[in-house]
Amino acid sequence: MKKLLLFILVFCFGGSIVFAQTKQITGKVTSKEDGLPIPGVSVTVKGTTTGTVTNINGEFFLTVPEDQVLVFSFVGMKTREVPLTGSTNYNVVMETETIGVEEVVVTAMGIQRDKKALGYAVTEISNERIEQRGQADIARVLSGKSSGVQIVQQSGLSGSGTNVVIRGLSSFSASNQALFVVDGVPFSSDYNSMGRQGDRQDFINGNNGSSRFLDLDPNSIESVSVLKGLAASTLYGSEGRNGVILITTKTGASGNVQKKSEITVTSSWFQSEIASLPDYQDEYGNGYDQAFGWFFSNWGPSFNEDGVAGWGNSPAFDENGTLPHPYSTSTDAIQAAFPEFQGARYEWKPYDGVKDFFRKGNIFNSSVNIRGASNDGTITYNVNYSNLNDKGFTPGNKVVRNTLGIGGNAKLSNNFTVTGILNFANTEFISPPVALSQGNGTVGTGSSVFGDLWFTPRSIDVMGLPYQDPITGGSVYYRQNNSIQHPLWTVNNAQTSQLTNRFYGKASLEYKFDDHLRIIYRAGLDVYNESNTNYQNKGGVNSNSGDVRLLSGFYETWNNINTIWDHNATFSGEYDINSKIGISFNLGATSKREVFNQSGVASDDQQVFDVLKHFNFLNHVEIESYSARNIIGAYGQFEVDYDNHLFLTLAGRKDWVSNFSKENRSVFYPSASLSFLPTTAFESIQSDNVLNYLKLRVGYGTSANFGDMGYPVSNTLFLDTKDFQDDTGSNIVTNSTGYILGNPDLKPELLTEYEIGMDAVLWNNRVNVDLSLYKRTTKDLIINRPLDPASGYNSVRTNIGEIQNKGIELSLGIDWIKSVARDGLIWNTTLNFTSYKSEVTDLGLDTDLVVYSGYSDLGNAAIKGEPLGVFYGNRVLRYEETGEMIVGNDGLYVSDPQDGIIGDPNPDWIANITNTFSFKNFTLDFQFDYTHGGDVYSSTIATLLGRGLITETIDRENTYVLPGVDANGNKNTFQINNSDYYFSNVLFGPSELQVYDATTIRLQEISLSYTLPRALLDNTPFGTISLTASGYNLWFDAINTPDGANFDPNTSGLGVGNGVGFDFINGPSSRRYGFSAKITF
Amino acid sequence: MKMKNLNKYLKTLALIVLVIFSSCDSIDLDLTENPNFLTPSQADVDFFLSSIQEDFVRQIEGDADYDANDNWQSGGVTQGDGLALFGAELTRVYCLSNTTSNQYYSAYQPSTSDDEWINMYIGIFGDIRAMMPLAEENELVKHIGITQFIEAYVLTAMVDFYGDIPYSEAIQGSDNLNPKLDDGASLYDIALSLLDDAITNFQADAAVLPAIDMFYNNDYEKWIKAANTLKMRLYLQRRLVDSNAISSIKSIISSGNYISSTEDDFQFEWPGTSATGPDTRHPRYGLNYTPTGANDYTSNWMMNQMVTTSDPRIRYYYYRQTPYVPGAEIDPDEQLLQCSLQMPPAHYVAGGFTFCFLNNGYWGRDHGDTDGIPPDGLYRTTFGVYPAGGKFDDDSFSPITSGAGGGGKGITPILTAAWVDFMQAEIAMVEGNTTDAKAFMLAGLEKSIAKVQTFASKDIDADLSYEPTETDVADFIDFIGSVFDGADMPGKWDVLGEQFFVTVFGNGIESYNFYRRTGYPRTLQPNLDPNPGTFIRSMFYPANAVNTNSNITQKPDQAQPVFWDTNGVPEAN
Repeated sequence: MKKLLLFILVFCFGGSIVFAQTKQITGKVTSKEDGLPIPGVSVTVKGTTTGTVTNINGEFFLTVPEDQVLVFSFVGMKTREVPLTGSTNYNVVMETETIGVEEVVVTAMGIQRDKKALGYAVTEISNERIEQRGQADIARVLSGKSSGVQIVQQSGLSGSGTNVVIRGLSSFSASNQALFVVDGVPFSSDYNSMGRQGDRQDFINGNNGSSRFLDLDPNSIESVSVLKGLAASTLYGSEGRNGVILITTKTGASGNVQKKSEITVTSSWFQSEIASLPDYQDEYGNGYDQAFGWFFSNWGPSFNEDGVAGWGNSPAFDENGTLPHPYSTSTDAIQAAFPEFQGARYEWKPYDGVKDFFRKGNIFNSSVNIRGASNDGTITYNVNYSNLNDKGFTPGNKVVRNTLGIGGNAKLSNNFTVTGILNFANTEFISPPVALSQGNGTVGTGSSVFGDLWFTPRSIDVMGLPYQDPITGGSVYYRQNNSIQHPLWTVNNAQTSQLTNRFYGKASLEYKFDDHLRIIYRAGLDVYNESNTNYQNKGGVNSNSGDVRLLSGFYETWNNINTIWDHNATFSGEYDINSKIGISFNLGATSKREVFNQSGVASDDQQVFDVLKHFNFLNHVEIESYSARNIIGAYGQFEVDYDNHLFLTLAGRKDWVSNFSKENRSVFYPSASLSFLPTTAFESIQSDNVLNYLKLRVGYGTSANFGDMGYPVSNTLFLDTKDFQDDTGSNIVTNSTGYILGNPDLKPELLTEYEIGMDAVLWNNRVNVDLSLYKRTTKDLIINRPLDPASGYNSVRTNIGEIQNKGIELSLGIDWIKSVARDGLIWNTTLNFTSYKSEVTDLGLDTDLVVYSGYSDLGNAAIKGEPLGVFYGNRVLRYEETGEMIVGNDGLYVSDPQDGIIGDPNPDWIANITNTFSFKNFTLDFQFDYTHGGDVYSSTIATLLGRGLITETIDRENTYVLPGVDANGNKNTFQINNSDYYFSNVLFGPSELQVYDATTIRLQEISLSYTLPRALLDNTPFGTISLTASGYNLWFDAINTPDGANFDPNTSGLGVGNGVGFDFINGPSSRRYGFSAKITF
Repeated sequence: MKMKNLNKYLKTLALIVLVIFSSCDSIDLDLTENPNFLTPSQADVDFFLSSIQEDFVRQIEGDADYDANDNWQSGGVTQGDGLALFGAELTRVYCLSNTTSNQYYSAYQPSTSDDEWINMYIGIFGDIRAMMPLAEENELVKHIGITQFIEAYVLTAMVDFYGDIPYSEAIQGSDNLNPKLDDGASLYDIALSLLDDAITNFQADAAVLPAIDMFYNNDYEKWIKAANTLKMRLYLQRRLVDSNAISSIKSIISSGNYISSTEDDFQFEWPGTSATGPDTRHPRYGLNYTPTGANDYTSNWMMNQMVTTSDPRIRYYYYRQTPYVPGAEIDPDEQLLQCSLQMPPAHYVAGGFTFCFLNNGYWGRDHGDTDGIPPDGLYRTTFGVYPAGGKFDDDSFSPITSGAGGGGKGITPILTAAWVDFMQAEIAMVEGNTTDAKAFMLAGLEKSIAKVQTFASKDIDADLSYEPTETDVADFIDFIGSVFDGADMPGKWDVLGEQFFVTVFGNGIESYNFYRRTGYPRTLQPNLDPNPGTFIRSMFYPANAVNTNSNITQKPDQAQPVFWDTNGVPEAN
């Protein structure tokens, strides 16, 4: 890299500066509509880079060569050209441009284009809709802001991962996560779960992790473009296949700074709290079948003395309705450790332990942004700092983030432009462990703070029962053999943490040969070090698995170092062939190198309690993993426009990848799009009152996918130095064939998409329509296909099948009231509507079913003729003739040994409605999100019902008869009791019974902001001051789930990945509300 | 645009591209080998053989932990299962209570068997196939012989539990991702010929002996005996469908070259040296000797059988944590044993079976009691010093702890001299020679008791004065002999079956096979549910096979018999 730096330095300082005959002019720019001055208008000398911007009073001062033309431009206004007349003072009036016509958007590879020329859908989201929010995670901020984008969080834990999927799932092995491009450089949005055994196993074993876009401060973002279709993202290569979230940071936007200097300070305080606390019943307590016991379940006696189920019937209670204190009848060790409870009584009453377990979280976020330009506008800079302190509502959960960004841009007079951006982010995420749980402890080897909390019987005083054995330090809890880990012990003795230091930035050098041709070279670097810790002190217990390693205490530390080197060189040109035809082209080459390097130590068998150092543990195992992949691409794009109303874009890219066999490692994929403006072509159809603007577009795009990083073509041999021991305790070393079958024939998968769309502006610019229809086909899908182990292997990465995905995206904006006066009433409604249908149309030759996520008997599957991702799992056996469910001799549903489809997580449609009212200096915004249909497999709901905790389970003295038939088709009449119904069927019956419809309505955002009148600030250093009060996720209702569960389907139980629609007690969602202020100087 | 200019631009572009691509590793396009593992060419034959031996015993016994390297990650409804556990649970040797349902139709879900499938095919057969060319090249015939023995045992044991399974098309990687099922009978033939080859290899001279032989420490005389004994066992297993089976067994017996003495027993000795990383304890010990107490319920039928016959092995097999069970000597308890408040079901009363509790602290569960789990882990009776390496029951009635007793230094018995005696007793019974049958049965009991008694020394803290005396043992042998003598022919079969079940404690494959092969004993405690459906005669194919292999469709139910089972459903169901 030394050579490269030298190269840049030579160009930076090698130039010389030349001055011409000049004169000093001044002027003022005002608005035609209201006559007020417009700050920030770009004033340039035509054909040069000389220029400035208007100040806060709309005034400008400029030194210009004589006899030139000044160009005045401002976003949303018609550009004006004013020839210099000899006068030194120019007052210029500018008028509003019809929306959408002259807007410039950033497209692939940072190429700026007129929006009207695009033949595909692009959604722009401005910083007003991003900054000052209560969410520190940019992806969650974007939720509902664009049609076609689905954003699902892993849980309400601050800092947990987030799924961002554009236009539905199109692949079932590789990532479906959208590509983040920050300031033109691909930005790792990876989710490295904190465990070590692959993402799935990690999640099972209780590891969180953040999505790495958490390292971006939403307040530092200038704008976001969402490129949804393949025609839009072809140039980004295979990683653009899932759509692109194109982010321009304020640092990165420094090249466009229009003011001399501006300091912006935003500061916010939010409170977060649990949003999905269940509605618990308070009539019955711990036990089973109305009998008392220190059980997991809440099917015990009533809190009333009398009645069939009253505690008066149980010999465990004394006449006052108290029980022996659980620590006085528990294990010998607990009795010895708690002499104060020996002989003590325990009150039989409902405790609100789960509610009290959570706390109010606080989120403090502040950021400072300083930007400015040199007097002549040739050098601009930006410095940005932000600090976030997010203490989650779950005890033990917090995120602390500091970001620092520096950027600058210099136009050198020798036709070079140099840009450099450096960003540093330091993010710490701490959380108690949250392993996969299905209603009792956790599945696997980890702990879960929620898994042990959610089933808490009402008569258990979570907060009042001591959680720690004062002698051993181990967990103590109410169950008599101490086989449940106290959730408070988990909070205090187990933790997962991830400290990330991340550096990302770019340097670019642009050289203009002349007004037509230029060449840009850009080097981007994104490197982060995730320093992970995962520990639990000795003395814990997994109530489900009784895992011995968990009991012994463990301590794991490891670093993930992820590096992306990205180089890109583009040669581009722009020519007018004649007055009607213009062409432009971009040719480029790019290389991307990704390296993931993991190393650390996993120890177990803690010697001294609470000492977290590896020396304090008996056994140590290495943690190491390494993968590297290079992708080289060459691309070209060619555009031609005819008479400002017909635009054609042709593009193509060829990629070579390093981890495939030589014969399969390259792929070429083209795209084409056409945009046509009837309102420009036929001016007669355009009118102010009806049709202001109409654009029709059609696009064809392709992309490729090489799958996730890794080494899919090679076979492996697994060496284990600690597989077993001989009778002296010496290790026996073994080697064993790998589980994964290498596939040298693996080839890239190819995606093709057709898209048509329309942009229209109607009725005096009051109505805005943006409609897209698309059909995407994914062929030669790369999948991790599970194999029958009888083949000798567990899975293989292979190509099969075809998926079709058809969708519609509509954005509709209506200005109901649009006052002419500057501070009059404005009411605007924006609707985003998304609907898609995916179908697996072909699965290849030798199988009709691939369960690609989850377990062998419960997961998301690809099945021919079905939507991608349907739940495949254990279902109730059906009577063949009638399809009715079969009830067994014991009165319970019989499970079918042949698994089947039990649900479909894909929603029917999604709509977001945002209303904005603005009057005087007040603005009120509220956003509703609605998801219609789609299923969720919910262990949370099943546990709350199955353990008799929520209001739905109050009726428990009657008997139940399951609807269904016996094995011979006769109607079932077998009576079972309430606990058998809920416990043995709803909770632990066939998986089909834990699937619910996830239709949800949500008040996603509401905010009220106030901007101080300018007049008040005239004699102060402040430019603007605005204050906002806002709230997020204030209310939701998953309409078709049991009300008492208050379940929020916005969760993903298989972590960030392709598994969708599963909830394994991942944790509740959060509600946030608070204040923020933004001040500019 | 002039051509000359264009050339200039392109040259500049080329220069920049050159700078980009020469300054980094970015353009290396040959990164296909996985650096996180060894490559197959780096394999070591001894390392393979050690892996195969460990996986072999885990096919029978399962494991106690979630060691990701053990092929046993999924667990299913029963953690750390294994064929021996399934067989024992179904025959009341262990207790069927940890399953999702007491209905035989759904007691074991297909996914329960996922790890048995992975361990057999990837863990054992895959490694054997990969090891074989390396071993042949270096003339490592003893290595080969051991793997042939293991393959024969595992293959037939899996046929015993699943019926027809893939074999001839298995382990072919990308050449066949959907291996078809092979007829179980043909797999028995293959296993027998594998054993003949194994014997040949055990007799041949090897270039180098295996570095680690976990069973016989490179004593190939014993390996030959084991191979012959396994052949006898396979012949006996298919005696209902093979008219030559008994004569084949007899010819081996007449050779004398089989396991006839306990010191030649084929068994796996768990070193019990480490609880984590790796866990080398007996899996039943690891699962039950925990701070929260035992996880398995013991079988009320089995304990009652041993109590009522004064079986001298009971203090070795079972460890009682408390002297009393609610409902027996003390009051019923809704918190710890809910059934102690309930009435026995009619079919238990009618058949005179024990219900819910036994006297003297033998705290187990009835067959098919799948109630929720009360906090009784530190009260229930658990595994003793034989075979799991736990505590010897010396009436101390203290709760178990992790590391107590023998620390998991137990055994998994696979072929023993005592069982060979029972094999001969069965043949005598088939031939109507009850005198020989009794003699073999009692000889087997004597061998079994003598062997079990040697385990007391593994629990160094135990008060061994509670060991049975020689008189106790002799009285027991006499008592069983007299019961046998006093019974009619089916009754004699019942006695043989009961004693066999007690004797094979620790390997439920044997009891499950005997039960289906003979239909005896009829005296087993029936399922707690009066209508549990048809007894499991073979298990569902695992979910990871049915859902991935287009040549395997799931069985309609678990009542499907395997090829050698022509006996109908056992009477006790």
